[in-house]
Formats: sequence, C-alpha cells, structure tokens
Amino acid sequence: MTKHFHEFRDPIHVFIKLDSDERKVVDSYPFQRLRNIHQLATSYLVYPGATHKRFEHSLGVMELASRVFDVITNPRNLHEKIKDLIPEITLDNKLQYWRRVLRMAALCHDLGHLPFSHAAEDDLLPEGVDHETITVELIRSEEMQQIWQSVTPPLRTDDIIKLAVGPNKTKGIVFSDWEAVLSEVIVGDAFGVDRIDYLLRDSYHAGVAYGRFDHFRLIDTLRILPKSTGEDDDSIEPALGIEEGGLHSSEALLLARYFMYSQVYFHPVRRIYDIHLKDFLMEWLPRGKFSPNANKIVEITDNEVLAAISKAANNSSKKAHESARRFVGRKHFRLLYQRHPDDTTINPEPGKTIFESATSRFGVQSIRRDNYTQKSASSDFPVLCNDGRITSSISKSSTIQRLPVASFDYVFINPEYVGEGHRWLKRNRLKILIENTNLIEEE
Amino acid sequence: MEGIKRQAVVLSLVESLKEHGSWCGETHIQKSFFFLQELLKVPTNFDFIFYKHGPFSFDLRDELSIMRANTTLEFSAKPYPYKPSYTPGAASGKLKEVHKKSAEEFRGSIEFIAKEFSGKGVAELERLATALYVTLENEKCKDTAERGKLVHELKPHIAIEQAVESIKKVDDLTKRAKDERLIH
Repeated sequence: MTKHFHEFRDPIHVFIKLDSDERKVVDSYPFQRLRNIHQLATSYLVYPGATHKRFEHSLGVMELASRVFDVITNPRNLHEKIKDLIPEITLDNKLQYWRRVLRMAALCHDLGHLPFSHAAEDDLLPEGVDHETITVELIRSEEMQQIWQSVTPPLRTDDIIKLAVGPNKTKGIVFSDWEAVLSEVIVGDAFGVDRIDYLLRDSYHAGVAYGRFDHFRLIDTLRILPKSTGEDDDSIEPALGIEEGGLHSSEALLLARYFMYSQVYFHPVRRIYDIHLKDFLMEWLPRGKFSPNANKIVEITDNEVLAAISKAANNSSKKAHESARRFVGRKHFRLLYQRHPDDTTINPEPGKTIFESATSRFGVQSIRRDNYTQKSASSDFPVLCNDGRITSSISKSSTIQRLPVASFDYVFINPEYVGEGHRWLKRNRLKILIENTNLIEEE
Repeated sequence: MEGIKRQAVVLSLVESLKEHGSWCGETHIQKSFFFLQELLKVPTNFDFIFYKHGPFSFDLRDELSIMRANTTLEFSAKPYPYKPSYTPGAASGKLKEVHKKSAEEFRGSIEFIAKEFSGKGVAELERLATALYVTLENEKCKDTAERGKLVHELKPHIAIEQAVESIKKVDDLTKRAKDERLIH
C-alpha cells in the first residue's frame, strides 16, 4: 500500500511528519545535498558535537512553521481587529493553501547555502549574489517547479519564494500584510522559526545549555496583533506578537539568542577557522570564487571541500597547502586583540586601527581581522496585555529593553608571533588608538 | 557613503530629532532617512523596501544595532506609556569630533526633516512615508486622489481620506524643500 504520510525521528522535535508532496521536496537533489552542509560551519573544531547539518534543521523549521501557523490562525486566538485587517484569515480554502506554501517554503529556505554555510559566503560570491539569491534560483528550477505544479491545488512559485527568503531578499516585490506576517513566521527577527530551531538544535549538538528556552509555551502564546489599539496616533499594522503570558518565554528566546551568539557563533577560534577556510577556498576555487550559477553550486558540498583540504595539506606542492595545513594541523592564528568598550571612546574604530598597525608591524600574511554585529537586534513586537491593551515588548519588558547587542571585533596573529605581538600591543595600544584617531577624518 | 561616516549622519539626525522634542523611536529614524535619502538626496545608500510601516531599510536597522554595540547610540524605554527611544551613547562624542564634516555637510537637510517629523506619531509617519513611496513610484501621476487610492491599496488599514491627506502633505513638504533649496 502507498504511504501518504512519512515520519523522521528528530532529537529536537521527536517526530517530524510530512506528506507525500513534501516528501518529493525532501527527496529532491538540492534538498538531499543539505545532508552534507554543516549547519555551524567550522564550529565542530571547537565544539566537537556540532556536526549537524542543514538537512535536519530544514525539517525542523517546517515542523515549527506549521505549529505556529495552527496557533495563530486558530479562530479562538484571532484578535477582533485582525479579522478586518486580514480577511484571508477566516477563509478555510485560503488557509489550507497558505499552510502548504508555508511548509514548503520552510523546507526550502536554506537550499542555496554554500559549503560550510555562512563561513565563506561574503567574499566568495560575486557582488549581489548570496545564499538567498541561490535559494530563489533553486526554488524556480525545473525540478522544483514540477513539484509545485503537481500539488493540488498547484502552488505559486513566487508565494514560496516570498515566505522562504522574506522581504529583505525579494527586492521590488511588495508583500501584503498577510504575506508579511507569514514571512515573519519563518524569517522574522523576533519569532522566526528558523531562529527558534537553530538555537535549540545548535545548543543541543554543541553541548551548551544557553540556547534552550520554553518554545512550547512561546508558540502557544503567539498571536497576530495590530501594533497598537490605535490610540496616540499609533499604527494598527498587523504583526506577529505575543500574549502577555508568553512574555517570559520570549525573553528567554532573546536571551538564548544573545548567549548563543556570544558563546558559540562568535567564538574566536571558530571565527579564525572560518577565515583559514576562506583563505583555502580563495586559492583552491577557479578564479578564487564560487560560481553564481545555482546548478554549479549544488554540485559542491563540505565533503568535496574537506577532501581537497586533506589532499592539499598532505602535499607541499599543492596550491593552498599552507592554509590547508593550518586547518587540519590546528595551527590557527591566535587572538591578539578584541574590541573593548573603553577603546571606542578613544577611537571610533579601534579594531580597524589595531589591525592596520599590526599589519604594518608584522606583515599582511600574519594578521587577520574579523568583525560582526548581530543583525536586527531590536526586538520590538506587540504584546497583548491581560487587560486588552496592546503595548510594545520593549515598554513592557525591562529584560528586552536592556538586552545587549552581541558584537565582536577580533584581530588575530600568526602563532609564530603571538608572544611578540602581545608585548607590542601592550606597549603601544593607547598610542596607536590616539594617534590614528587624528588621521581618520583626513582619509 | 558608508561605515563610520554614515554613522555620523545617523547620530546627527538622532540629536536633531531629540532637540526638536521627539522621543526618537526606530520608526522616526527609519522614515526620516527615507525622506532624507529619497527626497532630499542625502547619499546614505540605505536600501529601502516596502515593508514595516511603509518604506523600511534592513541596512539602517543593522546600522542602528552596530551603533548600539559600539556605544555611539543607546536604546532605552521608560515604563508604559513612554515609547522605546534612541539617544546618543558614551562613544558619541568621539564620533562627532572625528567626523564633524560628514554631519555638517547635510546639516540643513537633517534640520528640515527633524523639525518636520519630531512631533509626529508612528501612524502619521507610516502614512507620510507610504505617500512619498507612492509618489516616487508613480512620478507621472499628479492626481492626489489616485495616489491616495494606491496608498490605501498598499496599506489597507490607512483609510482613503487619511491617505489623500498624506499625499497632500507630502506634496506640500516637497514644495517647501524646493523653496529652501534642499532639492535641486
């Protein structure tokens, strides 16, 4: 007998169920490729358990997306104003269509990732191309279009794209309020299930507890709400928000995000391995870049890159031998400097300034810099209070209001110079920061 | 313009909005920059899309996060009914000192927009920014009612009358900016 429903066992969500149409997506070549893309890039070199892949994360995002959908469209959970603002929400056939689109979009949201996920994306793709543009291309590919057309009723490719990559990556396409809310379900800053799944999954595999929070309670209290009740000239635009009872679990989610950024994603050893990987790829790839063509991208995974690293590391005549040796022989650069808040009051760009001075002193081959600030750190969402008022999460929760922004600015040095580098910096840090501040405006 | 110079312009706008009595929430900053960049042609290079409360820039949101992280801006909120607010942070003095020229260059435009928007609520900012978006997207359409209808179609929670009123306000603001030679 033909099976119409299928199940995956999953360490985070226990069982992930899917139907035969969704199974076709899972069995497609671009999706199967995700079995060989590390979710956390080179983090397994710091946290040995973090070897999980984009494959299971994408299944988890699909599972959570429909859990959220079922809660926020449940008639008992609909705010009176929302029925007027989003008429689609009371029409059964529309809801069924969009639930299906949402699950497909969730499955496909990471299809375009390069080998090692984000590690090498910034400098190894041509200007204007990133993993989201490749994801869009793959969702539009012939193989996937055939799946969208075979579903009853057929799914519009553009609808899947909108929800899979969100408004930031679909320039020129206007989202209706309903579509904007649904895209928030997957990629939203506050409650996007992409983030919910990766925090839970990454903390589980990395073996750290920071990423855990009560996601069951959180999801049960999610609501589509007007941004306000309309007093004081406040907007009533619909957005994904929460009932007051879920405020603490949303605080826990945001704290989990901050801790995971600080402790895992921004770990300096992981960051320098990402740089060594990028150095290797720049030498190994033809013309130093990945092809922007989606069909070419899907031919390459972490497996091919790791095999090439191993080969280059064991043969000194191979191109990229040096960076491959650093990668496999644990000869990574060491942390020389990280931005200190006091330094920004002396020099607005202390990381850049120290990096430039260190490069002059030790040479361009011996110094590396990496800096990043968590995107979309603001977490302003509507909260439905017990007395019926709707207020901003930031006004309601002093925890959310005071949440720091996770950010780092690291300068690394070749291990051969680490002692000398630290002595040099100790003697000269203040002088470098002050003297170079005076030069910035003239640049 | 990008990086630290652009941050100096953001800081300058936040200070101007504050001086004119605004609580200076993110929507004030977002919509002010949409007008500064798209109407007054201040070259901040933020990428705006039509999204939250009308035109919205994820780049600008990320820039605000970076400025919070390097303490050139602070983010705070007093308890209800006060709203979340941006203020200059501990490292703002050094940024201003070092990038005086960048902010000074656009002083007139920043002052014009800050004065105009500082006292407005989120809903009115949303209406005005959406009205400018529609006006710029439909350059040949001079009819206020027609553009008002487009605003309502994009944001159905904005009533037609409010939408038309916002179009008129944007036309008036554009005229005043031209009179003050802020648009060339």
